[in-house]
Amino acid sequence: MAMAEALDDPGKKIKKPKNLSPRIRWLRDYYFQGTSRAWNNEFTAWTTGMPWDVQFDEMTFYIVPETYAFLQTFRSSMQQAAHTVKLDPVFWTWSLPERKAWLIREVMVNHVPCEVLPGDLIAGGRFNIQTSMCWTKKEARERDRLIYGRKGARASMKWFHDHGYGNSGATSGHLIPGYERILNLGWKGIYEDLRRRYEFLDAKEKKGSTGAQLRAMMTAAAMPRDLAGKYAGLLEKLAGEEQDLLRKTELVRMAENLRHVPWEPARTFWEAVQALWITHMLVMSDENYPGPGVSFGRIDQYLLPYWEHSIAQGMDREFGKEILKCFWIHANTVYDAMIRIGNMGITSGYGQLITLSGMGRDGRDMTNDLTYAMLEVIDELSPILEPKPNIRLHKGSPEELLDKVVDMVSTSQGSPFLLNFDERSMAGMMREAKKACVEHLINEGNVHDYAPVGCLENTMAGNDRSGTVDNNLNLLKSVELALNDGKDFFDFVDPITGKREKVRQAGPRTGDAASLRSWEDFWSAYARQTKFIIKQCVELYEKSESIRARFCPTPYVSCLVKGCAEKGLDITQGGAELNFTTLEAVTFATTVDSLLAIRHLVYDTKQCTLQELVKALKANWQGFEKLQALATYKAPKYGRDDDEADAMARAVMDLWCEETWRHRTRSTGRQFRPGMLSWNYWVGDGFILPASPDGRPKGRFLSNAICPVSGADINGPTANMNSVGKALGGKAEKGPGDWGGYLNCLPNGASHTISMSPSLLRDPEHKEKFKAFLKGSLEQGGTSLQVNMIDAAMLHDAQRRPEGYQSLLVRITGYNAYFTTIGRELQNEVIARISHESL
Amino acid sequence: MKTAGHDPEKPKGLILRVQRMSTEDGPGIRSTVFFKGCPLQCVWCHNPESIPGRPQVHWVGSRCIGCLSCIEVCPENALKTTDSGMEIDRQACTDCLCCAQTCPSTAMEIYGRCFSPEDLVNELMKDRVYFEQSKGGVTLSGGEPTRQPDFARKVLESLKGKGIHTALDTCGQCPWERLEMLLPFTDLLLYDLKLMDEELHRGYTGLCGSQIQRNLARIRDYCRKLHNPLEIWVRTPVIPGHTDSEENIRAIGAFIRDTMAGTVSRWELCAFNNLCAHKYDGLGINWKCRDCGLVAQGHMERLAQAASESAGRGVIVHASGATAGTESRGHPPAPERSCPPAGRETPR
Repeated sequence: MAMAEALDDPGKKIKKPKNLSPRIRWLRDYYFQGTSRAWNNEFTAWTTGMPWDVQFDEMTFYIVPETYAFLQTFRSSMQQAAHTVKLDPVFWTWSLPERKAWLIREVMVNHVPCEVLPGDLIAGGRFNIQTSMCWTKKEARERDRLIYGRKGARASMKWFHDHGYGNSGATSGHLIPGYERILNLGWKGIYEDLRRRYEFLDAKEKKGSTGAQLRAMMTAAAMPRDLAGKYAGLLEKLAGEEQDLLRKTELVRMAENLRHVPWEPARTFWEAVQALWITHMLVMSDENYPGPGVSFGRIDQYLLPYWEHSIAQGMDREFGKEILKCFWIHANTVYDAMIRIGNMGITSGYGQLITLSGMGRDGRDMTNDLTYAMLEVIDELSPILEPKPNIRLHKGSPEELLDKVVDMVSTSQGSPFLLNFDERSMAGMMREAKKACVEHLINEGNVHDYAPVGCLENTMAGNDRSGTVDNNLNLLKSVELALNDGKDFFDFVDPITGKREKVRQAGPRTGDAASLRSWEDFWSAYARQTKFIIKQCVELYEKSESIRARFCPTPYVSCLVKGCAEKGLDITQGGAELNFTTLEAVTFATTVDSLLAIRHLVYDTKQCTLQELVKALKANWQGFEKLQALATYKAPKYGRDDDEADAMARAVMDLWCEETWRHRTRSTGRQFRPGMLSWNYWVGDGFILPASPDGRPKGRFLSNAICPVSGADINGPTANMNSVGKALGGKAEKGPGDWGGYLNCLPNGASHTISMSPSLLRDPEHKEKFKAFLKGSLEQGGTSLQVNMIDAAMLHDAQRRPEGYQSLLVRITGYNAYFTTIGRELQNEVIARISHESL
Repeated sequence: MKTAGHDPEKPKGLILRVQRMSTEDGPGIRSTVFFKGCPLQCVWCHNPESIPGRPQVHWVGSRCIGCLSCIEVCPENALKTTDSGMEIDRQACTDCLCCAQTCPSTAMEIYGRCFSPEDLVNELMKDRVYFEQSKGGVTLSGGEPTRQPDFARKVLESLKGKGIHTALDTCGQCPWERLEMLLPFTDLLLYDLKLMDEELHRGYTGLCGSQIQRNLARIRDYCRKLHNPLEIWVRTPVIPGHTDSEENIRAIGAFIRDTMAGTVSRWELCAFNNLCAHKYDGLGINWKCRDCGLVAQGHMERLAQAASESAGRGVIVHASGATAGTESRGHPPAPERSCPPAGRETPR
């Protein structure tokens, strides 16, 4: 197998693609030419031509602090670049969703050029667009007032971020559209369903918003058919001109495919992949949002019948993979959106996530030939970012799959992939069902069909929008407020304008440091401040969420999410059957360790008073180095499998989770649910939040998602894993727990990253050990795992910032050492050796 | 303290550390318990802090904040700062550990911690799931576990009672009775054979090694009598210029073949590296092996070959550790390949 070759050849430093046909090699190489390509999928902007028109929706970037300074620039530049679309004469008599559906369809079908690259087996090129919001002057003025007013959405989100609470905004993408339904029914089926529903409405409903929404959705549902028709026409023309007979046949076949799908149900694997791609790319067009989190769900399950059928009909397996490889390359063209500028603060993969393998009904394993074919495609194309794979593991995962996973971990340079742990994840989804009273939608009978979006955020597929990146709250903020009677430590000074904003009583008055005499006093102050910051986040979210619901319909996406047609509501108005928004807690471990340090230093060992601690924090530990050292080195920490410290983690977790479940959006009725993703905020917000009682000075990174504070997990990976599992709830003492004996308070799941020394995978014996570690993690750990191999870059960073790497154990084939405790000379030697080992 | 704890029924153990997810001390994922105290004084020892059988302090420069509380508190005036960091006057130091207790940043760190068998076993059981999944378990290592036989027995017995796979990693330098106490609770014996020449053995480890060979021969008898109740792996540290002659390897091989005939299933050759140099610095010891360099890759391959040829049928020879790509014996050049061919089976 190709994978084995890479491992056997010690000369391979960077992973190289392999087993590529000339067609795929050309497409791949062409893609990586980047800006020098003649063809690309750069944003094009389209306007109604009205002077008040807006294309760029800034709210969808409220969760990307790096963009804040440029929001106005984006808005203006899109306006300037926008081409005017000739409108239907009665355009302005339609409702907003109908205008929007019509305009997007008009742009995609009649304005954006259709092209097919040489050799490509899948049609559907350009889809990155910024289109008119289709507002009337009155709508535009009202929306601008709500955004730009003194207490508008933008100022509120900026205040929230500036003061260290985190960020929140109604964000696009981040769902698994009902692709399976399109393959089975075709868009024709969706259209017919909408039409029947519309005809069933009475006259008043037809005239009202329900009628408007359904009409808009019908317009949107016809878009894939019309666009497919355009591409079919182009392909027929190309076929006529083609001299190469083989290619001519392909072009004819592609045209035939597009005359059939996605309007009709797919019949073959090729048709299914083609239908899937066109349907998927139009989601990104509809939302004007390329990629992030628009995920495919269990692709190796719903494409399997087509795969098996076509293989039985004589499709060569390698040709099937060839179709998939074309699909893969198409998925990567999302990055073209702002190819000449950068990725608008999106620093990692966009996360068009595919889910592979996993459990089926009755605990059955669902790994199949298509799972392996897709893993081969990833391996052969690597390094390539999209679509990003998440492999679902469970107790019944086959050894062959685990072997493949271990091989991928050992060679995963530059191509991150994630593992999801089914048992713990399903427990979380079952908890959600109970908490939100949606047991009719998530239950023992279907919970195995959950799938992650984006990275690891668990949802159901085709009927679920859970806003998995929409709210990112720094739990640590409540520690600052609890230490200071509900106030920030410092005035806020705007780094750009230099404008000073005086400290004010933001949170509830929970007593100054002197009055918090016992640990119980402190904890109750902390608990009240936690409730306060969650409320703040909920209120902030309401602003962008309610504006989106009024002004930013996405009728095409609504066609792909069950519940919208049934309720006659756009997905942005809460149309989805499963209608959640997720509060992703950031700084979990830093918060837990801060509380542990407060209890240890102030109340248990009485090494300082709370007032002294506050003074030290306000001084950023300057002049309080001994106290800082005690906090850093002598206070207990989460992540060491220390039951006492992990009990604190549970207490913190329970508190904020329970509080989160108490909230819903007013405008759209979306239930808040808890999760832990924390993307890259733990880096940036470390420069906003002041010093914390765990010994961290301002400017040092916060903790990432559910991971222990970087370097605190000094008892190794198994201890780290056990702590994470305990923080989520562990296992039920007796009874079935949430699912199969597992407990999990985070339905969304929690990001968990562990670094490993490459020597752990150096030979078959050690690979078996690593496999066993994964199996143990399934039982003991969290909902997901990303394994990073320690490399030279990480070790260089450890030399620069040893404080973040106390636990970094390097294993040099048999010898283990804590990297930061050995001398520089030896460190350099370890770096030399490890660079070599990761070959 | 020679054997920790006076009451054999309630022994306390002096443990250097517990290393979880250990992958180099027996099969599967293991927790390795490093005992403190060793009767040998191997010049190449990788864990010099494990040799003295009492708690000791050492200084970890990367954690030191320079507050000097240790110097203030030291009743013996045994501490002073120098250009290269904290200097501990080992003659004056009485191991009272006051400095470590006072140090806010654990820069003055104690090597050695007391455990009751119950506490230690509780700690070890935290990785039970990983042991089960990997067919791993617990390895008692050191230092030398047989120096604390009552404690080691309690721990092994308790683990066996819970169905955990146990390994005993020993240098073999102890009265036979101690091994006899521990073997009934041991699934795997990791037994060091370093040098067959008694004079060299004495020169490099302080003792001649005849007891080590005698004990291993008695273990053979024990195994035969009880129909192989435990597995035996022999381990040899390959130290350039010390143990790495082909003659020595062949002599060990001959012992395995002739004396142990059929009772040893695996022989591990562990190549030297100098990554523990900082530990010697921390203990104020001038380490003789600092500049030994890595074993040359070709030489390691030859030794593995010699081992396979000499040890006889049924012994799997396994070579591990960093090697240097060239024959040079000086400071190792940037290594080209660190893994010698693993798991070489003896030709049949």
